[in-house]
Amino acid sequence: MYRQSSVFKDETKLDISYVPSRLPHREKELKLLRQFFTFLLQFPGKMAQRIIITGDVGTGKTVLSQRFGTDITNEASKLGIKLCYIHVNCREYRGSLFLILHQAIARFHPNFPRRGYSAEELINILFDVLEEENAYAILALDEFESLVDKEGSEAVYKLTRLQETRHGKPQRLSLICITRNLKALEHLDASTKSTLQSNIINLEKYSKTQLIDILNDRVALAFKQSTVSAETVDLVAELAFSEGGNARFGIELLWRAGKYADAEGSGTVTPEHVRRAAANIIPTLRKSEIASLGLHEKIFLLGIARLFKTSQAAHVPFSEAERAYTIICEELGEKPHSHTQLWKYLQNFAMMGIIKTEVSTIGNRGRTTIIYLPRTPADELEKTLSDTLENCGRSL
Amino acid sequence: MSVENVLSSKVRIKILKILMRMGELNVSEIARRLGVNYGIAIRHLKILENADMVKQKTFGKIRLYRLNEHSPKVMALQKLIEVWEHQNK
Repeated sequence: MYRQSSVFKDETKLDISYVPSRLPHREKELKLLRQFFTFLLQFPGKMAQRIIITGDVGTGKTVLSQRFGTDITNEASKLGIKLCYIHVNCREYRGSLFLILHQAIARFHPNFPRRGYSAEELINILFDVLEEENAYAILALDEFESLVDKEGSEAVYKLTRLQETRHGKPQRLSLICITRNLKALEHLDASTKSTLQSNIINLEKYSKTQLIDILNDRVALAFKQSTVSAETVDLVAELAFSEGGNARFGIELLWRAGKYADAEGSGTVTPEHVRRAAANIIPTLRKSEIASLGLHEKIFLLGIARLFKTSQAAHVPFSEAERAYTIICEELGEKPHSHTQLWKYLQNFAMMGIIKTEVSTIGNRGRTTIIYLPRTPADELEKTLSDTLENCGRSL
Repeated sequence: MSVENVLSSKVRIKILKILMRMGELNVSEIARRLGVNYGIAIRHLKILENADMVKQKTFGKIRLYRLNEHSPKVMALQKLIEVWEHQNK
């Protein structure tokens, strides 16, 4: 029970796992998803669907899929169709197809044994289970890149094509693949890629106005009336926008600011609480994000972290970062990637919000990219990267 | 099968209690929980299946057993075990 003075009405509405009934500024995408799956309600079993949802961190990929899953399951149930929406975060299962499939089967048979068969057998078991239950499933593979990284084309091929070989049987398994960017698909073979790439829903970054709408919705659900002012929401939206239009960050910040207000015994959440909360969270350093980077991306980022750690400068030029990267490559016995490739990695880091880049003109001798590390402490970043590389068997 | 034939075994009573608690399990897991080997577990499960007290589903190599919840015998036995265990608390 909350104390009388709490600003919160129901803070679970700010939890990452909460799926709101309304998704502001994702109505169009929700409708599109619904369109893609209309056949499932009209002619179940006639075909299976494969969709990719892509977009940056905090653009609402997971919540969109989950909202859709709940809605379509309810709709199917009204029509007497047994439809099951299964949301699996691939990273939580270390990208293992076996564990992911086991999780899906466990929805029907919670004590299904974990040993004694292969992933391929498990796919067939999943089809048998669906057949036996006369059920249909939408398997949402969140952080899909983790599955592709671990298992490669073969696993995705099995998931997408194996049911087509079950002649004369209804198509019972549809897929929603959720990924931050389509780069993950580059590792797939041409046929698997073409199977997947036909339906892509790309979620654009939220604008500041859109973030304000989203935050206002959550404020109404989670906070007591008149405890969060428009200025406070505006500041949270501004910070979330500067974090790449990251709504998840904004919601988390709102929650933290509320906690600061409660700790102070203040009846309202002020912009000052937001600023204090913002100073204490480091949203850019999510270990899962670091782990998802490729080997050379990790090495390059480690080079950048080391530079910032030793130089204490506010920013470093790209050329120096490249030199630091080459040194680590030598330490690890890796052949360094090209300048252009590194530039692409840099854009990716900036997109992920780990660094910020700026093009600077020094005198009249051309342009140079300078790198900022705005929020993440360099030593923390270095430690995380060193640990991750060590886990991959590359000790420095 | 007569009641004394089916319920005269401690192992079979234990199987029924395990399935009451767990809902559904594969043979190896039932054997592990009983502390007996696979062959013994399957023999007792067959007897319970013949008495229409448990049902099985097979998925590939995996055989899952559960109570036949619609069987009046199982319902009555469930009640008896519940009362028994409640009294023993």
